[in-house]
Amino acid sequence: MSAAGGSNPEYVIARVRARRSALFGDEEYRKLVRMGPAEIARFMEESEYETEINALGSRFSGVDLIEYGLNRNMAKQFNDILDWADGRLYDLIARYLRKFDAWNVKTVIRGIYSDASRDEVETDLIRAGEFDDRLLSRLLDAAEIEEAIELLSGTMFADGLEAAYEDYEDTGVLVPLENAVDRAFYEQLLEGLVVGEETKQYREFLEAEIDFRNARNALRIARSGADLDPTDYFIEGGTLFRAAELASLATNTDELVSKVRDSRYGDRLSNALSDLEKADSLIGFERALDAALLEYADTLGYVFPLSVTPIISYILAKEREVDNIRAIARGREAGLDPDAIEEELVIQ
Amino acid sequence: MIEAIEPLMAVLQSEAASSPAIEAPAAAALSVGIAAFAAGYAERGIGSAAMGAIAEDEDLFVNGLILTVLPETLVILALVVVFLV
Repeated sequence: MSAAGGSNPEYVIARVRARRSALFGDEEYRKLVRMGPAEIARFMEESEYETEINALGSRFSGVDLIEYGLNRNMAKQFNDILDWADGRLYDLIARYLRKFDAWNVKTVIRGIYSDASRDEVETDLIRAGEFDDRLLSRLLDAAEIEEAIELLSGTMFADGLEAAYEDYEDTGVLVPLENAVDRAFYEQLLEGLVVGEETKQYREFLEAEIDFRNARNALRIARSGADLDPTDYFIEGGTLFRAAELASLATNTDELVSKVRDSRYGDRLSNALSDLEKADSLIGFERALDAALLEYADTLGYVFPLSVTPIISYILAKEREVDNIRAIARGREAGLDPDAIEEELVIQ
Repeated sequence: MIEAIEPLMAVLQSEAASSPAIEAPAAAALSVGIAAFAAGYAERGIGSAAMGAIAEDEDLFVNGLILTVLPETLVILALVVVFLV
């Protein structure tokens, strides 16, 4: 509940392990890819997602129902974890879950920018971070972007957003604001992290997350051919890249690939890297990054059973499940055949 | 030099042998106390993990209870010492 007092990893990990075993496995996915959206919703109603599907069933239908149900369930699960955790453990978990605060801030800003209605924005929020309902509802009420930024003063996003707002006023595009939010999130990940034997692994995982994010950004910029300076999007804290070299690597994909191959992630990503060289497809590579991160987090859970890592590994697995089910539902709606969808899934 | 100390050492040793720092019953009591303390500490972790598991699945109550009181054997074994002295 708070960052004061001792931590209680035993309690949280026992609960998280139980929840983890309730996640969908291979077999469920094989059934799901052969279902239509309505059937998927019914399938979910009979699983962990029962309450959410029932609560939203009267208002939405089809893929929307599945998507909002997934978001709401994920938010509930992660909020539960934060509720259970105390002391140092809370701090370690909250670091990672602030990701959803960043998501919510971006959603609100985009909503204001595109004049979306309050309800529309509200259903897209994922209430899994540290922001409480009061702050979120005040953010939703904000009519101007400036007002929303003022409301955020005192949070970790404040400084970056205020600086970026001037850019936004000059250019009229959202990119600087969103970029500021992302950077604020990634830079607090490693900030002030006390590294002991147990948290060393956690730090390596967070560094991997930042490295992969940098690699992904650089590749996307290189691929899109847009005239952007990759150093603007560089996130500090990783071990793989430095800001200066990223600029030159982004223009030269071959060099970037060989850099990743020589790094400590090379073994895990070697297949995906050769695919990337051959197929020219970014999607496959990004999926491989996700899978590598998930596999990495999975092994994390076993080395120090009473540290934060089993919890992080559950959080990642849950996120991946939500992504998978969403991909299945959207894929079926678009009429893709089951085999094609199955290839898109990240299953451990 | 050493010859000079030898009788002194002999006296010291015999004195130490005749009166230990604490009496045997007190030492036995201490051992039970420390064992109980350790058992309590072990049960703290197991108990909170068991509560977490039971909160997720009610069926685990019996298993949780058994595992929680297992460290109690420490105290029982320490109690044997009381009868030995």
